[in-house]
Amino acid sequence: MSIQVTYYGMLAEITGQANEVWNADKSLTVGEFRELILVKYPALRDKKFKVAVDQKIAQDYVFIDHASEIALLPPFAGG
Amino acid sequence: MEKVHKPKKVFVQGPISPDFVSKSIASHQSKTDIGAHAIFLGQIRADQKPDGTVTGIEYSAYEDMAENAFHEIREAAFAKYELSCLHIYHSLGIVPTGEISLFVFVSSPHRRAAFEASEYIVEEIKANVPIFGKELVGEGNYVWKENK
Repeated sequence: MSIQVTYYGMLAEITGQANEVWNADKSLTVGEFRELILVKYPALRDKKFKVAVDQKIAQDYVFIDHASEIALLPPFAGG
Repeated sequence: MEKVHKPKKVFVQGPISPDFVSKSIASHQSKTDIGAHAIFLGQIRADQKPDGTVTGIEYSAYEDMAENAFHEIREAAFAKYELSCLHIYHSLGIVPTGEISLFVFVSSPHRRAAFEASEYIVEEIKANVPIFGKELVGEGNYVWKENK
């Protein structure tokens, strides 16, 4: 399964890129994906972020099997 | 029948000018069912940070998701309040201190709905729209902003 992952704001600075393709060898929940991200980028551990699956904020139990797009979103600052 | 509101373009590049705001007001003079407008303008504050004074905010967004979130906020506001018209504009890119980054323009037959809807919409934008901001400080430094 390959997933298009996009990092926004300060998260893109920490990961060093705006987006990348992830290859996962099994289906994942958002929570499992979050754990993998933190292993790959330990500097994200002390950052707050939400995970959007196909443009919707997703809770940790959601499966991302057929997602076309995952985004990591730091705290919002609009207004 | 429920009115269908098409998604509208919200983002503008750079600050929102007072001239644009005044033209928006003028363009509603022909809509004579309106009895009250409420306008909210978000302005960039020159906060003091450890590295100096904020000179502006550089906004970015997850634009597709943000446009959808703005559309949902509009639909919810129309469902919740008696509104004639609703416009939302938000800046992307750099907005210097003292300039406008958010323009919410709510029109209703009566004042109460206009006041309440404008507050509701601004709070929803701050909490639920994926917009990110760098507060630019001094010479080339910045701090990532986080809504309270």
